[in-house]
Amino acid sequence: MNRPSLPLLSAALLGASLAVPAQAEDLRVTVAEYSAKTGPYFETVAEAFEAANPDTDIQIEVVPWDVLLQKLTTDISGGANADLSIIGTRWLIDFVEQGIAAPLDEYMSDDFRDSFFPAVLETAKLEGETYGLPIASSARAMFYNEALFEQAGIDGPPDTWDQLVEDAGKIAALGDDIAGFGMQGKEIETDTYFYYAFWAQGGELLEADGSSGLDSDAAIKAATIYKGMIDAGVTQPGVTSYSREDVQNLFKQGKVGMMITAPFLSGQIKDEAPDLQYGIAPIPAGPDGARGTYGVTDSIILFENSEHKELAWRFVEALFGDEQRRAFSSGEGFLPVNQRVAAMPEFADDEDLKAFAEILPDARYAPVIAGWEEVADITSSAIQTIYLGDGEIEATLKEAAGRIDDVLDR
Amino acid sequence: MSGRGTLRPYLLVAPGFLLSSFIVLWPLMQIGEISTGDVNRFGQVRGFAGLDNYRAVFADPDFWGSARRTLIWTVAVVVGSIATALPVAVILDREFHGRALARTIVMLPWAVSLTMVAIVWRWVLNGESGMLNSALVGLGVIDRNIVWLAEAGTAFPMQILIGVLVTVPFTVTIFLGGLSSIPTDLKEAAMLEGAGATRVFREITLPLMRPFVNIAVVLNTIYVFNSFPIIWVTTQGGPANSTDILVTYLYKLGFRFGKLGEASALSLLMFVVLLAFTILYVRLAMREERGADASSAA
Amino acid sequence: MREGLGRRTLLSWLILSPLLVVILFPFAVMIVTALKPATEVLSPHWVPSRLAWENFSGMWEATNFGPALLNSVLVSVLSTLLALAVSIPAAYATSHYRFAGRSAFRQFLLVTQMLSPIVLVIGLFKLVVALGLLDRVSSIILVYGAFNVAFTVWMLQSYFATIPKELEEAARMEGASAWQALWRVFLPLAVPAIAVTAIFSFINAWNEFVIALTMLRRQETYTLPIQIFSLVAGRYTVEWHHIMAATFVATIPVAITFAWLQRYLVRGLATGAVK
Repeated sequence: MNRPSLPLLSAALLGASLAVPAQAEDLRVTVAEYSAKTGPYFETVAEAFEAANPDTDIQIEVVPWDVLLQKLTTDISGGANADLSIIGTRWLIDFVEQGIAAPLDEYMSDDFRDSFFPAVLETAKLEGETYGLPIASSARAMFYNEALFEQAGIDGPPDTWDQLVEDAGKIAALGDDIAGFGMQGKEIETDTYFYYAFWAQGGELLEADGSSGLDSDAAIKAATIYKGMIDAGVTQPGVTSYSREDVQNLFKQGKVGMMITAPFLSGQIKDEAPDLQYGIAPIPAGPDGARGTYGVTDSIILFENSEHKELAWRFVEALFGDEQRRAFSSGEGFLPVNQRVAAMPEFADDEDLKAFAEILPDARYAPVIAGWEEVADITSSAIQTIYLGDGEIEATLKEAAGRIDDVLDR
Repeated sequence: MSGRGTLRPYLLVAPGFLLSSFIVLWPLMQIGEISTGDVNRFGQVRGFAGLDNYRAVFADPDFWGSARRTLIWTVAVVVGSIATALPVAVILDREFHGRALARTIVMLPWAVSLTMVAIVWRWVLNGESGMLNSALVGLGVIDRNIVWLAEAGTAFPMQILIGVLVTVPFTVTIFLGGLSSIPTDLKEAAMLEGAGATRVFREITLPLMRPFVNIAVVLNTIYVFNSFPIIWVTTQGGPANSTDILVTYLYKLGFRFGKLGEASALSLLMFVVLLAFTILYVRLAMREERGADASSAA
Repeated sequence: MREGLGRRTLLSWLILSPLLVVILFPFAVMIVTALKPATEVLSPHWVPSRLAWENFSGMWEATNFGPALLNSVLVSVLSTLLALAVSIPAAYATSHYRFAGRSAFRQFLLVTQMLSPIVLVIGLFKLVVALGLLDRVSSIILVYGAFNVAFTVWMLQSYFATIPKELEEAARMEGASAWQALWRVFLPLAVPAIAVTAIFSFINAWNEFVIALTMLRRQETYTLPIQIFSLVAGRYTVEWHHIMAATFVATIPVAITFAWLQRYLVRGLATGAVK
């Protein structure tokens, strides 16, 4: 058998490699999947960027939200992370403490910085330095079923929690399978659902001394209200098997009087239940007028170990162009983080979004502390225990607060 | 075998051995390193921590709860599937009309991925829009919807049921193999001597099936102990960790809370438990077969 | 005799029916939900108002089904070939030769089954990164093939043990070399065993999820389970009719092949399996 001689082969290879044109510069971006529109949206921006910047190759990697943290963890552990990634802003502290996220202040022009709502940009700052750029933001408000309200003879949405309980009772009386207040008892943000009432009673997640506020009077009061509603049959049965998405499904079927969730429900209603008459109101206040909604932002971060930081920043600037932000926020049903975009008619004139935009400035965010995931899990478990009636309210909350304090001390 | 032949079996076995050991041992060493290390939530080892991670695992009450439930889960599913599979295999072993169809249906759950099975069942068990409730109400078995996944008392048994359903096909296959290996002349001889069908079953079939039952127990225990999708997709181990088994607890520990050191320690503990069980079981249960082994070829 | 058969048929179906009903129940739900129009998905009626065949085409696009299907086929076939390539010789050796370490080898294989992917995933990830195979479909093929080795060796070896050695020995005595005896006498007899083992390995790879999710990153490399899972996880709304349609399509071809081959299942898992 004839075999080409080794020296000849290597020479050929060398020649071939020299003849290859300069490689395109690669950029990898990890993107959280919010809906079927997410992937295509980012691809469009990437293609436009590649067209405007030849010799670049942008690779978008779409990951389902539920497994995003797991994916990032394994990526980083193997040193195989992308250059840019979307993360839940509440995870930022771990990324910064471990030196994973790169500070961004040096890249931002003043103009760029000022285009954001200050309160929103604050969420991605740690010790005065910006580490992330909020790319998706949403808050929570109360959706209510206008038809059911009319049927029950109620004038308008409740403004206080006491009124809410009363209204829920009237609506639940309308039928066996009608729930007055849709309550979430499962999966992500179960703890948040509780906080809406908790904040209204004047509660604070973290007391002044840094300990958990879960054993405060406000917490006990809020839990009593919720458990009371469950016991009175005013919520849907089997609360602990309902994730937020499950409650939303009930709402879309017209079986729920009131529920608290984010703007994307409006879009869903338009698609799946166009005949549903609904309204949006701020989350009810407590007896002292305190109220709170939960703000959530996701941010895009630049990895410290990225070898294409300059290119990454140029792509980021493309992503945050007004037109791109408009397309993204309206496509996904998010609130605009950019002041100019917020002023666009699409957002300023949308009734639903206006209701949300009004409450956004007062929104509270998850405390930026290490171990928040664990704290949230402990809180959710405690609340589920209370919902199920497996634990007495005060005792359960105190025990959970104790466990949270242990986590916080660490 | 000739002198040359003594090397051959090793050469033949080598590729398989190397491939499977590589893919298992390397990660196992990584886990060992992480479990004794001070590791951040991204799996980067920053120092040595000795047995701290192990201590932390044992100190966590959720660990003990999950361990207890894992025991219940494993025993219930393994025993349930064997108890179901044995009569099913016996029936499927004998000719009857449509036997091929019946066999196909019994094997179906094996063809579907566990995750998809769990997703479908989660949908089926839904309180309001679930088909199980509508079927049960329609048949008059219950008069109000049961919210199956709302609490551990109703959710866990359902999860065990699903576990049994997906384990039955594999077990039936093993048993069918066992049944077909029982020489028919043995049974016929007994029948000629006047023994009834049940006696034949009890005194000939069952004892000869014992090795197959044993292998089913060992393999199923290993698979069921580590089985993640069913519980995760239906309840995520909730509500309030009340349906958590060790492997779902492990996932939360590692990927939600970022405690990779503890998660790795737990992984090793689980491995050791399974190993211990297998060695013990094999030694105890298979002891009687050793004598029978010596007489059969290969 | 025919009477006995008729009665046995009735009895058999009667006793099996509870199990069969419970097994078929989720499949029935799958089909019904897959055919319901989007607005009816949430109502628990058994009969949809019309057969919404458009769910299947809608699902095809929403899950990027076509490419994912190809990826799944590619991965499953290639990993099966890899597993078979190393396990056929290994099974041949363990069933035909007595050698020191034989039972140790088999016990080792059993031990490799004791570590679940969730447990190993970080270690595996680092391994794949170290090999430079990240985000390549070849990483999955390698991992699946390797994990399946234990199972395929076990299955093959118990089948091989039932093939009488006398046939090969007779061929050797007529002057054939060991290699020829293997090729001409043994393998043809082993084909059904290999086929059945192949389908099992195929199914394991076809359904695997956690490892694929960890190793793959670009949507065009995703396999079917990941695509279907992404419909459920983290989206703000879950399109159940699409999920059911997708699961159905992903399941049926495999189930049918399985059904067709199930008659071969039984014959091999007999003697030799338990030692």
